[in-house]
Amino acid sequence: MTATLDRIVHPDIHYSTETGHRKIGLGIGAVALMIAMVVAGLGIYAASLVGSAGDEETLGQVVAIAFGVNTTALVLLKTAIAVILIGILVRIWIRVESVKASIAALKPDVDAGSVKTGDIDTAFGPATVSAKAPERLPIHKMANAMWGPMLVMGVMFVFAGLVVSWVWAGNVGTSTGLGARAWTQGLQFLGEGFVLASISFLLASILSGLREGGGEVQAALGVPVKTLKMPPTAKAFVVLMMMGLMIEIAQFGLYIYITTFDDVARYVLWSSWLGPLREFGLGLLLAGIILALATIATALGFQFSRIRDIVAAGK
Amino acid sequence: MTTTTHEFETETSTKALDVNVPQKAGRTLWTPAFAMSLVGFVAGMILAIVKATAIADGDAVLAASLNNYGIAAMFFGFTMVFTGISFAIARILGEFRVGGGRTQETAGSEVRTLKMPATAKAFIGLMAMAMMILMAAVIAHVVVGAQINSESMTLLDAEQWDLWLEAARRFAVSLYLFAIALGLGTIIYVIRYQSIRIREVANTT
Repeated sequence: MTATLDRIVHPDIHYSTETGHRKIGLGIGAVALMIAMVVAGLGIYAASLVGSAGDEETLGQVVAIAFGVNTTALVLLKTAIAVILIGILVRIWIRVESVKASIAALKPDVDAGSVKTGDIDTAFGPATVSAKAPERLPIHKMANAMWGPMLVMGVMFVFAGLVVSWVWAGNVGTSTGLGARAWTQGLQFLGEGFVLASISFLLASILSGLREGGGEVQAALGVPVKTLKMPPTAKAFVVLMMMGLMIEIAQFGLYIYITTFDDVARYVLWSSWLGPLREFGLGLLLAGIILALATIATALGFQFSRIRDIVAAGK
Repeated sequence: MTTTTHEFETETSTKALDVNVPQKAGRTLWTPAFAMSLVGFVAGMILAIVKATAIADGDAVLAASLNNYGIAAMFFGFTMVFTGISFAIARILGEFRVGGGRTQETAGSEVRTLKMPATAKAFIGLMAMAMMILMAAVIAHVVVGAQINSESMTLLDAEQWDLWLEAARRFAVSLYLFAIALGLGTIIYVIRYQSIRIREVANTT
């Protein structure tokens, strides 16, 4: 699995070739945005049915369909983002080859001398100096292996939930309808959580690519390999991501649990806080993504500073 | 085969350019947006628990009112989290702009900096639109919640408002995600440019 995913992000192409990820990603996103417009129309139609005698069942059906389709549109947009992140990952590795080839020509020909290994402080945070490129961290190994399966499973859960939403729409006001509603909400938000986790793993893979690629370039040039230590934002990102994913798994279990309730009042009571709980889980995953992006910005700042040092001083 | 950067729209200078205004905002504002998103999510979850208590007590008016306050808090969190993501993307683009420019300057080459691509302009425009729709929905939920609480709005009207606002929120979230996709797409474009440009600098310096 890891080897297949590694091949996807290391295609054998010329450095100037457009990989197509951007166009494919934005294409999927544009389709999803059009679906979202239809859902907005359904919402307005549903609002017009409120209070109309005899339209209660139609209202319930429209609400059910809109929920299923809206979550599907959202997961398509997140899939579009994942495709674009894969494109960034591909570009990061192409960039490594370009930097390696160019810096060799740009750097002054000086002897790097003996390498003093150990910890150093930089403007971007603590870093280590080594003679060789660093190994891939365990968290990066996991990220590189997991983004693909999480994406596929997440999309499958959301589409399974879309199908169940039709059962919900066809059984409004019955116990079957209530059960299908819980399954739809639980499944689709589990899927959303998995897709956001996939995006998080892709961001961690980008960080892994920057770390490994940076080390590879320095080692190839024969200069001391300076590598940024994991910043606090990266550690907090992992914590938020794990918390968010666990909440999404828990909400799925709890939604299945409420399908066993015979008492509608108890079902309504549990649903009243399960809805916000599933959103809270997604919120934590998204907050983690902010930190991952901030960490990428820090890592890039460090890399550019290191490239300039090598070009200016040759070591 | 050597490829040049002629296909890209650039501006040439002798010194590296600094970050532009959106990137400066990104550098400064991603942290407060992150913090405010967490406040919104936690407040939304607490209000949901209080609402569940009101439902258990059979107080439908209080429950409906708290429902609106809870959605407002939760979607304030979502507005801030998407804003934080957008600012963090702007910060990354700023690192590429400044880092790429300074590298060219250090190499003794003329500095060619990419002009803002169309995807970046669309990213900013759509992000602003989505943020305004979401904030308007958040404010409307607070107003609806207050009106239910003061019993100047019936529960039926409140249900209708809830559906209208839900439609607006859903569309705004989709718009925000599409804006983020455009921002990330811009990063691909920038890295491709830089991969070509650095080879060009090495070949001409």
